[in-house]
Amino acid sequence: MIYLDNFRSTMVAPEVWEAMRTAAIDKYAVPAAFTQCGTGAAELIERAQNRVAAAIGASQNEVVFTGSGTEAINIALLGSAQAQVIDKPDIVTSEIEYPATLAVYRALEKEGYKAHYVKVDGEGKYDLDQLSSVLNEHTAMVSLMGVNHMIGTIEPLAEAGAIIAEASQRVGRRIPYHVDFASALQTQRLNVDAVKADLVSFSSNKIHGPKGVGALYVRKGTKIHPITFGSESYSPLVPGTPNTMGIAGFDKAVELLYATFDQDVEHMRSLMNRLAAGIRERIPHILLNGPDGVGRAASHLCYSFLFIEGEAIMMFLDMDEIVVDTGSACAAATLKPNYILMAIGRNHEQAHGSIRFTLSRYNTEADVDTALAKLVAIVERLRAQSTIRPPAQ
Amino acid sequence: MAIKYTAKVIEHFKSPHNIGVIENADACATEGSPACGDEITVYLKIDKATDRIEDVKFQSYGCASNIATGSIITDLAKGKTIDEAEAITWKQAADELGGLPPVKMHCSVLAVDGLRSAIRKYKKEVKGIDYDSTLDVKTVTEELKHVLWPPVGVDIITLKMVKYIGIDQGAVSVEVSIGSDDKFLDPTIDEIVEHVSKIKGVKSVSVENV
Repeated sequence: MIYLDNFRSTMVAPEVWEAMRTAAIDKYAVPAAFTQCGTGAAELIERAQNRVAAAIGASQNEVVFTGSGTEAINIALLGSAQAQVIDKPDIVTSEIEYPATLAVYRALEKEGYKAHYVKVDGEGKYDLDQLSSVLNEHTAMVSLMGVNHMIGTIEPLAEAGAIIAEASQRVGRRIPYHVDFASALQTQRLNVDAVKADLVSFSSNKIHGPKGVGALYVRKGTKIHPITFGSESYSPLVPGTPNTMGIAGFDKAVELLYATFDQDVEHMRSLMNRLAAGIRERIPHILLNGPDGVGRAASHLCYSFLFIEGEAIMMFLDMDEIVVDTGSACAAATLKPNYILMAIGRNHEQAHGSIRFTLSRYNTEADVDTALAKLVAIVERLRAQSTIRPPAQ
Repeated sequence: MAIKYTAKVIEHFKSPHNIGVIENADACATEGSPACGDEITVYLKIDKATDRIEDVKFQSYGCASNIATGSIITDLAKGKTIDEAEAITWKQAADELGGLPPVKMHCSVLAVDGLRSAIRKYKKEVKGIDYDSTLDVKTVTEELKHVLWPPVGVDIITLKMVKYIGIDQGAVSVEVSIGSDDKFLDPTIDEIVEHVSKIKGVKSVSVENV
């Protein structure tokens, strides 16, 4: 199988699986004080906290592990909203965030919060002027993302952070700034102070770690309430027995990520350039979704193939054991075209023909070349049988 | 829940039967639209003495089930008289494919609509049988039987989701009852507008969720 859908989820690295197996067998006790087995499990979690904290310029006790990236987002946003007492609270995000963020915002809207959805330009970059203009004394929080999962745009997190910090000064209190870094972790470095983030969410399964584990950075002093309740022996914010095996896997995944980070990013960028060049050279009538070059994540490519539909392309590739994703309405559970493609100005037809290719460090030149050759043939075939045709030259 | 295509859908998607164009076709009709995500064109060659479909071909802009349903309805129609072919239902087409996921049933409706449109065009142009119906509540109701509720693949009339149909000098207003935050609300409204707009004499369509 040639797996080019790494922004959805990644393969568990063999070393990660081994670390999880060891933890499952040797560290199965609940983390606790004093006893050998309890402290052994607690130390495993502390090591993982330290690893994540060191990578983002934070302290160990500012990192907690969650049940997923989605859970981290929920804790960050709901917990932050509940911890603040603001008259007629506003909440700010963008129109192209990850579904979990948008779902939490819609839930908060039903509770009476007024939500502002910052617009983006044709490449998916935030309108920072609009962001600046909506921040005021009613703003309860801002949530933005590091890399857009559908179109690969690297968002200006630090510039947004500076705008939020300035607005915080103006209103005389800190406006909490949450960053969803799940899709960015694979290719972007992060320093929480440089970005001025108060909360950052991560997902293990985007970086060759296991599913069912996420992490949340909470800057010391940030007001946040738990949204679930239970035993607080591990963490008051994420009560209950922690997933030691999953955390051990996440820890190993982070270790591996940074062990070869720069060369892996360059490897993926080179493969992506190869794929993009091949598509541009061999397939006419295409549209690049998201920025070209350094403005997009090194492992990400999204093209619309005009006059044909994305689910059909995806299914044909799937039959050749090549895995990609599409923003077509036909492949969506809601039968709606992808909201991010619509937000950057694509029409329905352009969104229907979109295919997203997302790489990992495990992909090879042969993967890309095979996928390209199959893609060229599939696009030609589907265009030959389509009801719509390119306009006459 | 895992939503999968049957092996037969995959077979017809992978190697569709009767794909292409018939030059000098006796009738040809297009249904759907690229903006809605799928479109089908059906071409017919008909023996005028017997009204039997000698050849049928189709083209498709759409997903795997759109291509597969186009393939199966053209198989079903080939060799039949135009009356027999016109009676083919979308349920029959879906059953021939071993079933379709409920959310994909509308592809079968579109394929059957394409075939029926082509037959009716032939009947009108060659046989002089006029299918232009008057714009009334009954016609709109019949057309809305082609709009399926995606979670179950059953039409919105049978499901009693249409609460009111009003017609005033070509302006059609339809009231439906769907949860205001239901994820299928917008695509269903789009489909109602697409279907009702096809009826002769319709100048505008408004859909209200009550």
